[in-house]
Amino acid sequence: MTAREGVAAVFCCVGALFFVLGTTGLLRMPDLFSRLHPSTKCDTLGGCSVLLGMAVYSGLSWELAKLLVVALFLLISSATCGHAIGRAALRQGIRPWKKGEEKR
Amino acid sequence: MDRFLTIIAALIAANALLCLYRAAVGPTVLDRLLAVNIVGTKTLVVVVLVTFIQAEAFFLDVGMVYALLLFVVTVAFSRYLEAEGRGEDR
Repeated sequence: MTAREGVAAVFCCVGALFFVLGTTGLLRMPDLFSRLHPSTKCDTLGGCSVLLGMAVYSGLSWELAKLLVVALFLLISSATCGHAIGRAALRQGIRPWKKGEEKR
Repeated sequence: MDRFLTIIAALIAANALLCLYRAAVGPTVLDRLLAVNIVGTKTLVVVVLVTFIQAEAFFLDVGMVYALLLFVVTVAFSRYLEAEGRGEDR
């Protein structure tokens, strides 16, 4: 295993860890607003670190440029989607969960 | 390295399947939309990993198009639901 593959493997492991954490948050958090938080984190941090790892693995090539474009786009789109969903929920009149209430 | 990438891709795909549970039970439509958005992101990452497992460069273009589509679909749908919540026509 070369050094480049090692760095790529570390990035992939970090990304996979964040994906697992994001899934856990999505399944276990009590309401929509708190679910938005882990899930957008898992998108940006997990997805971008896997993509960066693959960019390191691919070396200097066209794939590198494409991967960086996809990673940049993921950063923008995940944040925008999280914001749009949160605002839509607020405008629809969904109230945030308070401690002691039942899970929704 | 290929075997390692396959394991990572399988792990992420299993996560995507677990997220579908939230899409199935989610109490509001927005919960389902969020879950579907996340499943889409995970699919995108799996497509990128498959590019390097199979050493086929064109899968990366598929991934780029998928990212664009995902963004447009989620933003359009949540804007629609937002306008519907206020009883507006937009």
